[in-house]
Amino acid sequence: MASKEVQHDSDDGMDEFMDKFKTQNYKNAFSEDNWEEEFDRIPMFMKKAPEEIDPQKYPELACLQAILHDEDRPPEEQAKGLKDEGNAYFKEKNYQKAILSYTAGLKKKCGDQELDTVLLTNRAAAHFYLGNMRSAYNDAAAAKKIKPEHLKALIRGAQSCIELRNFSEAVQWCDEGLKAHPTDKKLQELRAAADKHKRAKERDARKAKIKQKKLLAEKEALLAAIKDRGIKLLQSVKPRPSGSNSEDEDEGSSAAISQLSLDGLGSQEATGAQVFLDEQGSLHWPVLFLYPEHQQTDFISAFSEKDCFLDHLAIMFGEELPPWDTDRKYHPNNLQLYFEDEEKDTLYQVNQETSLLHALQHKRFFVKSGTPSFIVLVKISSFSKQFFTGKTIRNTMEDSSLLW
Amino acid sequence: MLSETEAAELLSFLSPETRPDVKGQTTEYILGMSGNRDGCRFLRSKADLLHAVFALTSDPSIAIVKDCYHILINLSADETLHQVISPDSSADCRLNLHLALTVQHYRSSLIQVLVADVKVLPVLLKKLLDPEYVFADQICSILSNLTRHTKTCKTVLKVLQEEAGLSQLVTIFCTEGYNKKANFHYLGPLLSNLTQLPEARDYMMDKDRCVIQRLLPFTQYQASVVRRGGVVGTLRNCCFDHARHEWLLSDAVDILPFLLLPLAGPEELTEEENEGLPVDLQYLPEDKKREDDPDIRKMLLETLLLLTATGGGRNALKDKSVYPIMREFHRWEKDVHVTAACEKLVQVLIGDEPEQGMENLMEVDIPEDVEVKLKEADVKEQEELEKEQEEMRQEEEKKKSDAPGTDKGQDDGLTR
Repeated sequence: MASKEVQHDSDDGMDEFMDKFKTQNYKNAFSEDNWEEEFDRIPMFMKKAPEEIDPQKYPELACLQAILHDEDRPPEEQAKGLKDEGNAYFKEKNYQKAILSYTAGLKKKCGDQELDTVLLTNRAAAHFYLGNMRSAYNDAAAAKKIKPEHLKALIRGAQSCIELRNFSEAVQWCDEGLKAHPTDKKLQELRAAADKHKRAKERDARKAKIKQKKLLAEKEALLAAIKDRGIKLLQSVKPRPSGSNSEDEDEGSSAAISQLSLDGLGSQEATGAQVFLDEQGSLHWPVLFLYPEHQQTDFISAFSEKDCFLDHLAIMFGEELPPWDTDRKYHPNNLQLYFEDEEKDTLYQVNQETSLLHALQHKRFFVKSGTPSFIVLVKISSFSKQFFTGKTIRNTMEDSSLLW
Repeated sequence: MLSETEAAELLSFLSPETRPDVKGQTTEYILGMSGNRDGCRFLRSKADLLHAVFALTSDPSIAIVKDCYHILINLSADETLHQVISPDSSADCRLNLHLALTVQHYRSSLIQVLVADVKVLPVLLKKLLDPEYVFADQICSILSNLTRHTKTCKTVLKVLQEEAGLSQLVTIFCTEGYNKKANFHYLGPLLSNLTQLPEARDYMMDKDRCVIQRLLPFTQYQASVVRRGGVVGTLRNCCFDHARHEWLLSDAVDILPFLLLPLAGPEELTEEENEGLPVDLQYLPEDKKREDDPDIRKMLLETLLLLTATGGGRNALKDKSVYPIMREFHRWEKDVHVTAACEKLVQVLIGDEPEQGMENLMEVDIPEDVEVKLKEADVKEQEELEKEQEEMRQEEEKKKSDAPGTDKGQDDGLTR
């Protein structure tokens, strides 16, 4: 019941009231500076859920969450709430969080099979997008166990199998799926893709097998060629099952051949060169020349067995002598070649005009680590004399007891 | 044959209440009868006997059930549709014959009897689908035999679609271990027979489903020539629909490798040739064996030839280096008929494209006189092939003059 005065006043008051708004904001108004921030704190307008819901900062949100996760609610409702939560995270591509929600939902063991199946299938999808194929597979399989005809689970399972390269199993999943959903395009597509991969995989296996066989055959041919020539290979370091070394030498080298072990042919050199058989049936060896006087070596990657030592020495010490040869002594005709029989501490002289093959065939020549090595010394030098102490010198040509 | 009284007597022995030993002897006797042409003809004319036999497939005695199935297999194998046979008007007939039999002058054949009684084929099909049923294979044989002729085939397909659906059959066929007591190999020939009919082919090659694709791996199924032959026959029939060739040759089905694998051998091909082949044919191991059965080999070649009817098909086969496979195959093949089929295929593969308007070889109009000449040429070729084959055989026999000859018994589906 307004008095006349008030009525009078109210009109003026109204203007005054309205004028106030032009300068003042209403209580709890949004300020121009931070209205966006403010908006973001109202649950309804939130674009993104905050990582942690601090009840101080976001009281309304905390309140809502409490409602959602109220332990007093029946498990199905809780589980459904968690499923929705998971789905929301999934939409934001926050797969980790989604997985947590789904897992929590499953933990409720609400007994609703339909819901559990969806939780598992969705979790499988989240795992899939994270690249956790095995987890995706396991979840899809679990979902399939509950509901064998659940289409999404079947598709996800097949996809996981494909990613895990279990193509046969992928086809099986698709076939199972197609029984229940014969016209599903996705399943048909997956089946065709899985089948194709499977057959490509089988082809690759066949190709690899043939290649392996070829390599093996080549290796066998190589070892046979070496054996035929009577050349002995020495295994580098191999534990012998029985007694002493000396008697086992021959056994060891034939064992190397029979084992077809690459170790017997392995080269210690960084170049990785290995003996090989050429198209004409000749062997080419990696050969080491040792110069103990100057602690130097020369490595020839492919020394044909038909070549003689002079052929190579003439080139190596032909035009220019090596830089380490400070005394300028290493002329080819000044050099004497030897190979060492370590066992018997014996050095065998090798004539420069001998072919490599001939040298290798010597009864006491053992090829170590697939690389024959020869010692080069200057004839009649003080170093040589010193070098010979404690060793026996044999001449390979004259000693009749050392027949090839 | 038997007199009416004797027939009636037999019928009475076949009633379910009869003593088992009498029943058993009767079924044995009838089985013997079904082993020859005349006996079959007689039995087929006795609808009531057939009904009784069929009823006894539910007998508690396994031996009797087995005999009855074998009788039905024999009868279905010997199925020759007579012109007109007057319906049996035996007054002693105790079973209810469907009205259609007596009113219409139907050909009294096994299929009519089986279908006339509404329950029969459906019952058989239901048993077929039962994973525990012990005589599932026998049912497959019967159905396979029944579908040899187009008319009966149509009937079986119709009932099949109504009761079980072709999809179920394909599922059973392709599922290993569906039934522990049955191997379902005879579903192969059944499917092959069914695909004589366009409706069956439509179903097999339904683009929205995955049906024919599931049959493909069985072209290599070592354990059963019946199954293999059935599958290859099915594929061959399907390839008569040249409108579907593009789809069949596409990745969705990819029929080509499965047709070529049984014809490919262990011979080593160059790396270049290998890389051009379909994936499944690359780098085959040295123990690869070719298809054993010459008839199946011939069917495979015929199927491939069918696929060359369209320009697209020819290109596909040329692109996929089918030629090296055929080259090696030709070197290996000894049978003259198969070699002839191979040569036909090779001619198309290496020949020039036909002139404009004739790209689809199946749609080309052949003038009548040319057609006559071609037919004559075909007949002549067949005769020459037969002669060649005979000569080869005689040479072989001369070589092993004291080795006993192997008697390849006729496979007419008869069980004795």
